[in-house]
Amino acid sequence: MLTLEGLVCGYGPFVAVHGLDLVVPPAGVVALVGANGAGKSSTIMAVAGHVQVLEGTIRLDGEDITRLPARERLRRGIALSPEGRKLFPDLTVAENLEIGGYIHPRARVARSRERVLSLFPRLGERLDQQAGSLSGGEQQMVAIGRALMAEPRLLMIDEVSLGLMPKVIDQIYAAIVGLRADGIAVLLVEQSTRRALAIADEVCVLESGRPVWRGTAAEARGNQTLIDAYLGLREEAPS
Amino acid sequence: MFLVELFVQGLIQGSVYALIAVGLTLVYGLLRILHVAHAGLFTLGGYAGVLVTNATGSVAVALVFAALSVGAVGMAVYRFCYEPILRRPPYVALIASIGLFIAMEELFRIVFGPFGLTYDIVPLQGSVVIGGMYLRSAELVTMALAAVLIGGLGLLAGRTRIGLAWRATVSVPEMAESFGIDIVKVRYLNFFIGSALAGVAGVMVSVLNNLVEPTMGSVASYKALAIIVLGGLGNVRGTLVAALTLGVIEAYGTIYLAGFLDRDAIAFAVLIVILMVRPQGLFGRSA
Repeated sequence: MLTLEGLVCGYGPFVAVHGLDLVVPPAGVVALVGANGAGKSSTIMAVAGHVQVLEGTIRLDGEDITRLPARERLRRGIALSPEGRKLFPDLTVAENLEIGGYIHPRARVARSRERVLSLFPRLGERLDQQAGSLSGGEQQMVAIGRALMAEPRLLMIDEVSLGLMPKVIDQIYAAIVGLRADGIAVLLVEQSTRRALAIADEVCVLESGRPVWRGTAAEARGNQTLIDAYLGLREEAPS
Repeated sequence: MFLVELFVQGLIQGSVYALIAVGLTLVYGLLRILHVAHAGLFTLGGYAGVLVTNATGSVAVALVFAALSVGAVGMAVYRFCYEPILRRPPYVALIASIGLFIAMEELFRIVFGPFGLTYDIVPLQGSVVIGGMYLRSAELVTMALAAVLIGGLGLLAGRTRIGLAWRATVSVPEMAESFGIDIVKVRYLNFFIGSALAGVAGVMVSVLNNLVEPTMGSVASYKALAIIVLGGLGNVRGTLVAALTLGVIEAYGTIYLAGFLDRDAIAFAVLIVILMVRPQGLFGRSA
């Protein structure tokens, strides 16, 4: 559904990604992994429309969306849970979710809110709290929930597990598996390679803005050279 | 009894401050601009009040006209003064705003003359006795308008979809935009409402003083700045409390500090003292 062809993107004179081809199939989970500064976040932000695309094209179901503004991409079904989550900290959880569904009519918003709350029941107890007062894991749930309120066909999550406790990470990955079962494609950025390999269908390893390996997660798990070279050092920090 | 009367006088003055300062803090919250020219819009409201009341005989018509026209001028100020320089450093907008304020004062002088205008028949001159206190109708109307308009603003912000979009835009503009909120529309709304409130304040001050003159906004401009700093820049509730508090302190100060401190200096004495203790303002979040 999402196709990147020769994507080159960056911030002004700084080029973060040099020529990336990538396909995210419908209802597939694709993980971008690699070290800090490898261009993972830039890729996702370029797909969402927040980072300037210098060359190449981004297609969604064949339509060239390379030059569309961020909100038009949202309307076409691409939603983002960004790095650092970027919640509205002084708005309540319920209000954060409502903004996520802002492009949809009220009745639909109520329905998708029910779905988000069944995915993350903990948010149901926090609806009237300010989002900025929540724990890191709860904030991540709000960020993903807010993106889901837009009813995307492709959900992109940056830094899924960064700074979170293992138990919370389990819950979030369980939710991602559930989304795939509902037919939503997921493109995620993950520093914790073990986690990404456990659930992703496909993996793309980036280094210095270039893809250095791609294949199925099963292949990656069986490839000791790859794990040693790029993935071995990236385990979860003990909590 | 005298103390209570002073308190009520303070609330009346505080209501005027609140109507002016809320618009200022709204602009700061949204765009991080110190909108000095806001006081010029307040003066414009005063002229609209006198001219329309004298022409139609109705201060109610004048109030509606002032709210709508000053609101519209406020949107034009955003469009033609601030929007072209939004990406520049904040002091650029500040300089532009001060320049616009001076230009507006001079324009009032050229168009309406230097000596000010008065009402042919001053409206709202009846008085009522409440609890043994004489209150002019104009004073009651001022307080009532402030309460209703600012209360209505609170409902708009807290209970409606556009209000939610507004608060989200103030909170994290780029995320609000990416979720489909038209942030330019939010800015126009913001300037319309803030300016309309200042316009209404201008009408009421012109009625209370039976005078509108080109420099009517000068004192208001710097006092409103002090109020929004005290209220925690961008914080509407804090601004409201700061405005009413300052009004009351001034009312007592006029009597008890009259010997050594001018009324208009009190705002700054309070500002200096509070900022020494709480640099983030009374209601600002600590950085």
